Amino acid sequence: MTAPPIAQSDPFLDELRSILGPDGVRADKPARWNRTRVPAPFPVHRWADYAPDVVVLPRTAQEIAGVVRLANRHGIPVVPRAGATGLNDGAVPLRRGIIVDVKRMNQIREIDLVDRTVTVGPGINMLKLNEELRKHGVMFPDDPASYPCSLVGGRIGTSGWSLIGGRYGHTRDLVISFEIVLPTGEIIRVGDGGGRKIRKSSTGYQLKHLFMGHQGTLGIVTEATLELVPRPEVEFAAFFHYPSFQAAYESTGALTKSGLATLAGVVLFDEWKLRYLRRDDEAYIPQAENVRAVVATAMYGTRDEVKPAARRLVRTARESGGTYLGDEVSQGDWAARHDRYATPLHGRLRTTGQVVPMSWHCEDAAINYSALPQVMEEWHAIADRIIDRYGIFDDWGMFFYTNAAHKPWGDYLVEIDIGIWEQKLDDVNWAGWVEAKHDIAAVALKYGGSITACHGATREGDAELAAEEMGGGFEVMKAIKRVLDPNNIMNPGKYELDTAYDPNAPSPFSGRRTGGN
Amino acid sequence: MTADAPYDPTSDGELQQEFVEQWRNAAYGCFSSGHKFCREVCPVMQVTRNENHTPTAFHANVVAMEQGAYGIADVAEDYVHCTQCGACELRCPNTLFTGDFYRNRTQTVKLVKAMRALAVDSGVEQPHWKRWIEATVDRRNEPVLEVPVEQERVRDWAEGLDLATGGETVLFVDCEAAFFRTSVARSTAQVLNAAGVEFGLMREQWCCGGPASEMGYTAHARNFAEHNVADWRAIGARRIITLDPHDYITFTEDYPTYFGAAYDFEILHITELVADLVRDGKLTFTQPIERVVTYHDPCRLNKRKGIHESPREILRAIPGLTFKDVDHVTQWSYCSGAGAGLAIEKPEITAEISRRRVTQAADLGVDALVSACVWSERPLSEQGAKLEQPLDVIDLMELVAQAAGVDGRGVTAVRSGGAVAGVRGGEASRGAPEALA
Repeated sequence: MTAPPIAQSDPFLDELRSILGPDGVRADKPARWNRTRVPAPFPVHRWADYAPDVVVLPRTAQEIAGVVRLANRHGIPVVPRAGATGLNDGAVPLRRGIIVDVKRMNQIREIDLVDRTVTVGPGINMLKLNEELRKHGVMFPDDPASYPCSLVGGRIGTSGWSLIGGRYGHTRDLVISFEIVLPTGEIIRVGDGGGRKIRKSSTGYQLKHLFMGHQGTLGIVTEATLELVPRPEVEFAAFFHYPSFQAAYESTGALTKSGLATLAGVVLFDEWKLRYLRRDDEAYIPQAENVRAVVATAMYGTRDEVKPAARRLVRTARESGGTYLGDEVSQGDWAARHDRYATPLHGRLRTTGQVVPMSWHCEDAAINYSALPQVMEEWHAIADRIIDRYGIFDDWGMFFYTNAAHKPWGDYLVEIDIGIWEQKLDDVNWAGWVEAKHDIAAVALKYGGSITACHGATREGDAELAAEEMGGGFEVMKAIKRVLDPNNIMNPGKYELDTAYDPNAPSPFSGRRTGGN
Repeated sequence: MTADAPYDPTSDGELQQEFVEQWRNAAYGCFSSGHKFCREVCPVMQVTRNENHTPTAFHANVVAMEQGAYGIADVAEDYVHCTQCGACELRCPNTLFTGDFYRNRTQTVKLVKAMRALAVDSGVEQPHWKRWIEATVDRRNEPVLEVPVEQERVRDWAEGLDLATGGETVLFVDCEAAFFRTSVARSTAQVLNAAGVEFGLMREQWCCGGPASEMGYTAHARNFAEHNVADWRAIGARRIITLDPHDYITFTEDYPTYFGAAYDFEILHITELVADLVRDGKLTFTQPIERVVTYHDPCRLNKRKGIHESPREILRAIPGLTFKDVDHVTQWSYCSGAGAGLAIEKPEITAEISRRRVTQAADLGVDALVSACVWSERPLSEQGAKLEQPLDVIDLMELVAQAAGVDGRGVTAVRSGGAVAGVRGGEASRGAPEALA
């Protein structure tokens, strides 16, 4: 028998309990195993390799600071976990250690209707927060597909994207400031500068943006002050159909360049997506065969703004070749956007057409408008290759979403949905999947894009290319990591940041050796 | 040893292997999704914020058991943290997207019951449940506390009402309604009389067996069922009226699995029947009730059975009543915390779930919360009484009785005596199993 890891030794657990109290520390297997994975594809056959050593359930920033200082003394990894609903694996421990699960920090600490902010703990969910805010006629408009389940801490950790970000901005625009426990245990507050409710400042470096999307590698967020906006008087959704992807693509360009300020988002469905929805999504409203691509639009705001803008939007869509799809799909599908996060969870084998249980996975990238058609063709070709080679994948089509806050015209969150028959995962199939991820990310870079618009790029298959995407910036990132986390305890292995400490550090992923220069 | 030392799955024997074989595909359906839409709608999770208590974890544990990572003894206590309200099933993407076509609803409630049964069958018992079930077997009804529960007193609630025994239609009244909040039973019986509905009581009324089934004591549950069904057959019953949503679930979901096609009773819930009677003009509301109320959707009616219209229809028909409604979908995330034995094993969690529920009601500016589940009314009443502006908790049938001009007051001094007029419910906590000792 081997000795238990330090993090599971009685003296260490006693130290943790002295910080968190007895109910704040769990070392039993179910507690640890159930805090190992996220919805991203997971090598379930290697579950045991990723289970953390111990779980802590803090209630305060001081408790977290105590845990982090203890971890530094012993050199034990620390991985923060909020909702664990990410499609990257920021919350999956690569080196075991301590999981800091912040779900108990879900309090609303202040609602300020005068300066229009709400201050919360990182463990609160947006839907639950908005249930409270509704009473005051305001909302926090961070609205990802995971709106019913993701938590504010994770939104900051991944620098999330919001479905209505074109109108209201994304997580980084909507979080005014936040408190974070640094990797060495100090507690600081970062914002644009000034007090915690100041949105724009020119003092110093923009530290909020440094820690936004840190994926747990630079600390643990313990409180956030968020934007409040008036609840919209009107939500207007309109779906249009087109005879081809090309027609829909051109119309998307016309719609997003219209300059309509209430335009919250535009979503383009490609021909593969339409075929898939017809084939296997029983919830999808039936459409005529000549419907080959769809564009969804949504506007939010006051009645006085949206009513005339909607007329103009519909006119623009029609003039650019679109046909209105009808109220049922326009209202019903838009209302169900959150639920559509999870597609039908079954797919088909190309060889036999057999229906099998498949989990959904979505690869994302940020791509400029001009490159969307090429990226689409090349991504589907990659999907085709693994479908033929491995027999456990299915291509569920692509979505293109407007990406930038308040500027919906220039770049897009591009997603390809792939079904994976997870019960069949083994080392060979897993390696095939990782290789496909890598190739998908490489296409994004080839066309001047980013590996990811919202999921994060810490994951096997992506992380090896992060250095390439960032160029000289990756050296700065490593230098920052070294300074802030001298003992490399915060979520080690992610982004291949081990090379910040040792240029020859082995990759944590499948023997692949890149990262850094 | 290390905490991750290999676990020997054979140590739990064939029972666990059979269980895993039965549940592995369903568990994968959740595991491979992993989105946890269920989490924030789960009443227990909203309180404990412990990922061990999520429906996601309940399914993932099956996958871990299949891998031989751990066994029933490691997880049995986690499965106590469930009221079997069914919210997670409704919110599950698998249900939402494959439900209609493939008849596939994520079955977390069934899984929790099966896991609890595996625990009991494997000798892993929860101490308070064990004593509760033993007492229920002993007394033929649940030991609802503070009042003497004995088989010979199971009809005391009907004293002076001159109710028949037997007949084609039976009013089923057990446990909490028969012994504790008797005003619910008396109100129901007199409302049925006023509307001209002919019905009788059973010869010997036992607990429905649902709680035993929910806690994993399947053999005991079956015994209760066999007794009750034999009694129904002996008195020629064809139609069973339930006033307790828990009974309604047991008779419509558990009993058919015990008796198969031979089980051909019509099972009605009282809110559906009363709504029909009002609609048909057989029951009229003559007494205005000048109160401001909201309605608590009992989980087993709303989330498990889709019954949410009839109670609202009844409330809207009562003259004088100001009804501030919260829609039934929002109420997916509401609960009293009383169900599936949580109150017996973890009374502090039940109390907190109830506290949140009455606070939500109080925020609407109402002076009473109307429920249609007798089990919810004790913990809700306890918490309602503690509010700065105390909030009454009233059963819908108590309110209906008053509007129909009949006296539904209970016979036990269950502080619920006055039903509508200032009911605060009891101070007793259902979850004080020490009292059983």
